[in-house]
Amino acid sequence: MLRMLLNRLAFSILALLFVGLLLFVLTRGVPGSPARVALGLEATDTQIAQFEKDHGLDRPVVEQYIRWLGQLVLHGDFGRSFVTGRSMNALLTETLPITLELVLFAFAFAVAVALPIGVLSAVYEGTWIDHAARIFAVIGVSVPGFWLGLMLIRFPAVEFGWFPPGGFVPLSDGLVAHLQSIALPAFALGVYYIAILSRMTRSGLVETLGSEYVRTARALGLPRGRVLWYALKNALVPVVSVGAMSFGYMFGWALIVEYLFNIPGMSNALLTAVGQRDYFTMQAVVYVFTIIFIVSNLAADLLNRQLNPKLASAQP
Amino acid sequence: MSTTQTPTRRALLQAAAGAGAGLGLQPLLGSLANAQPASGKTLTVAIPGVPVTLDPINLTNHDWMAASQTIYENLIEFDVNGEMRPQLAAAMPTVSPDKTTYTFDLRDNVYFHNGKKFSAEDVKYSYEYLLDPANKAVRRPVFARIEKVSVINPLRVEFKLSEPYGPWLAFQTKCMGIFPAGSREANSPDVFRNAPAGLGTGPGIFEEWKPNEYISFRRNPNYWRKGLPSWERLVIRQINEESVRVAYLLSGQVDLISAPPPRDFERLKKMANLSGGSRATLGGWFAINTNNSKPPFDDVNFRKAISHAIDRDVIANKVYYGLLSPAAMPAPKGAWWYNESHDRAASFDLAKAQDLLARSKYPKGASFDLAIPAEPYLLDVKDAALVIQSQLSKIGVKVNLKVSEFQVFFAAAVKGEQQAGMFVNMSPGEPTYHLQNSLTPNQLLTKTVNYDGPEMLALLKQGFAEDDREKAKQIYSNLQAVLVRDMPMVWVGFVHAANLWRKATVKEFTVNQGVTFSCRDVA
Repeated sequence: MLRMLLNRLAFSILALLFVGLLLFVLTRGVPGSPARVALGLEATDTQIAQFEKDHGLDRPVVEQYIRWLGQLVLHGDFGRSFVTGRSMNALLTETLPITLELVLFAFAFAVAVALPIGVLSAVYEGTWIDHAARIFAVIGVSVPGFWLGLMLIRFPAVEFGWFPPGGFVPLSDGLVAHLQSIALPAFALGVYYIAILSRMTRSGLVETLGSEYVRTARALGLPRGRVLWYALKNALVPVVSVGAMSFGYMFGWALIVEYLFNIPGMSNALLTAVGQRDYFTMQAVVYVFTIIFIVSNLAADLLNRQLNPKLASAQP
Repeated sequence: MSTTQTPTRRALLQAAAGAGAGLGLQPLLGSLANAQPASGKTLTVAIPGVPVTLDPINLTNHDWMAASQTIYENLIEFDVNGEMRPQLAAAMPTVSPDKTTYTFDLRDNVYFHNGKKFSAEDVKYSYEYLLDPANKAVRRPVFARIEKVSVINPLRVEFKLSEPYGPWLAFQTKCMGIFPAGSREANSPDVFRNAPAGLGTGPGIFEEWKPNEYISFRRNPNYWRKGLPSWERLVIRQINEESVRVAYLLSGQVDLISAPPPRDFERLKKMANLSGGSRATLGGWFAINTNNSKPPFDDVNFRKAISHAIDRDVIANKVYYGLLSPAAMPAPKGAWWYNESHDRAASFDLAKAQDLLARSKYPKGASFDLAIPAEPYLLDVKDAALVIQSQLSKIGVKVNLKVSEFQVFFAAAVKGEQQAGMFVNMSPGEPTYHLQNSLTPNQLLTKTVNYDGPEMLALLKQGFAEDDREKAKQIYSNLQAVLVRDMPMVWVGFVHAANLWRKATVKEFTVNQGVTFSCRDVA
């Protein structure tokens, strides 16, 4: 286990270094300078050149990268936005909890709905329950998230007044208001993954329910529920892996949801930063996303080891 | 939370760990977002765009001037009808006979938010700070002709210009704001940029800025305009998606919005609980910058043919549902410098377009790339571009639409790489700002047009020195005659300012011709 963790840590560090360098190169290769945003459309070439000099943007990309990396590793400082002047650490402190909460709610919602649907679909394979679940899955992956979000704003929020059309109410302003503000965005974000995870669960469970050891367990007279539980544990291994990746992808999809529902989260900040060529914000946010992706996949691997001890002995 | 606070690495890690539980940090990050004052009204408005600063000498986002102009004021302002009137000045300035010296008498009852009394010294300080190259103020070039600012007495200030340049009065209203003497030294740049509490004379005192969310203000109890503002707290929300702005309005989360969707505007303003209004701005011009140095725009008859082939009424009514005023010249119909005959001389006339094309270097037609920005700014130009593409095909001109992200679009534009670029731009409501920017040498957009117009330059210079409106009208009429003759670029129209508001919470509101609506006057 320790060896596995060390291996993963080393890999993660390499991945972060690679991602960071790639980000640097890609962001600075995009046409348009943050100077134009910070100084305004009417900035002269001289003003822009001076701005780039003042912020080290005229230095070689590798030099800029090393300087930024040094600041991050030695001081834990993601830098300051040269468009807004704000500290990246402050930005992350403000926005990360919001996006994390949104994604956690959406993920929990997706798992809570997907697993029962997948199990029912597998247990009642070939019946109307299975067909209904399949149709739901197709709709879930087909519906454009932006459109779904607009429909949620249009009907439950504006037409019926059950939820606010957007914005984020912090918990300090009341639990009910807080949950209401997060319900629609979490639903919009989670629907697609309900479809994915329910199908994965169904496929895995159908396969394990048909395996020999399950037939043997049934033949031996084990209660149906216990048999199902044993089968489910084995069927969940790929589901957990896909779930972990989905959790990471949700941070990307959260960009659309946060923009639409006007949620001041990290993904929304990333969208703004792209338009403003705010390199430091882009780097900080994508780095955090990368870390979350790595951690969630590690968590999935550890969970899978618990679900299937064979994995623990097979892997270093 | 202070906007200049920099958490340590420990705080950052703790935040991330705590956030893993999902809810633990929320109480710590609770904000004033939904706090209501004990009494008095909170006015909530929603506007698009992304503010990057509240510093008036560096602010270029037109929408977010609604925020900075709540904090800061100027010697002069535009009223809702686009007429200049005194603001911190007690009266319009007296101007020397050679038109280079402007003397302002100031109001005696004005105080900054920090309690300091406003005086001529503050005006001098603010302008000298702006004009000092070491401070790298973005708006400095606009006021570059100011040579000296002198304090005559505590309530009188004098500006000396290097040459006659009347437009500078109008530029103040958009590109400047007066702050207390010594305030730049006493506060870091971040304070002016992100948290300018105590630094203005305006109706609102800065309270809080939540990035990507809102900026809030509280009422200035010592505001010199008695009875204003009527709100106790003002929240300006940043909502970029137009349909979401409408959703917020319909659900009562905001009281007033700007930039409503043109297609739904008429329907929405007729709803029982809403009201709305629109009017043509004097400075929101929508034009095609045609590069005179690149074929096919190197031929004046071709450029004229394009102007005559565009049916602006169709664009104004079918694409923008009346939220665009068609104009074939750089003058909206409501402006004092508008000239109907010149406008008609360049307007839609298909027969004339075909005739001019036949007489041009491209009698069999031509094709060109029309660059447009992807993101809407004041108006979304993409739909208009499709209509123009269709209209020009009738005279055998093929338009290839090249959509790109605004930064990419603009970078190419200023370098002169485009054959033609179409976008919306906003200026104070006077006749020269855009003309200077696009049609005079060594300006920001000079290379988008590459127009060589000595006659136009001479007329502009005459206009700068003329403060008699009737005489200025004649000068700008002559200037437009030159533009009709040379057609350096093609004008499409002037955007409307449009607002929707809730009747229950907004009793008095007049749409402002300057687009930047004044939160001060909302009741």
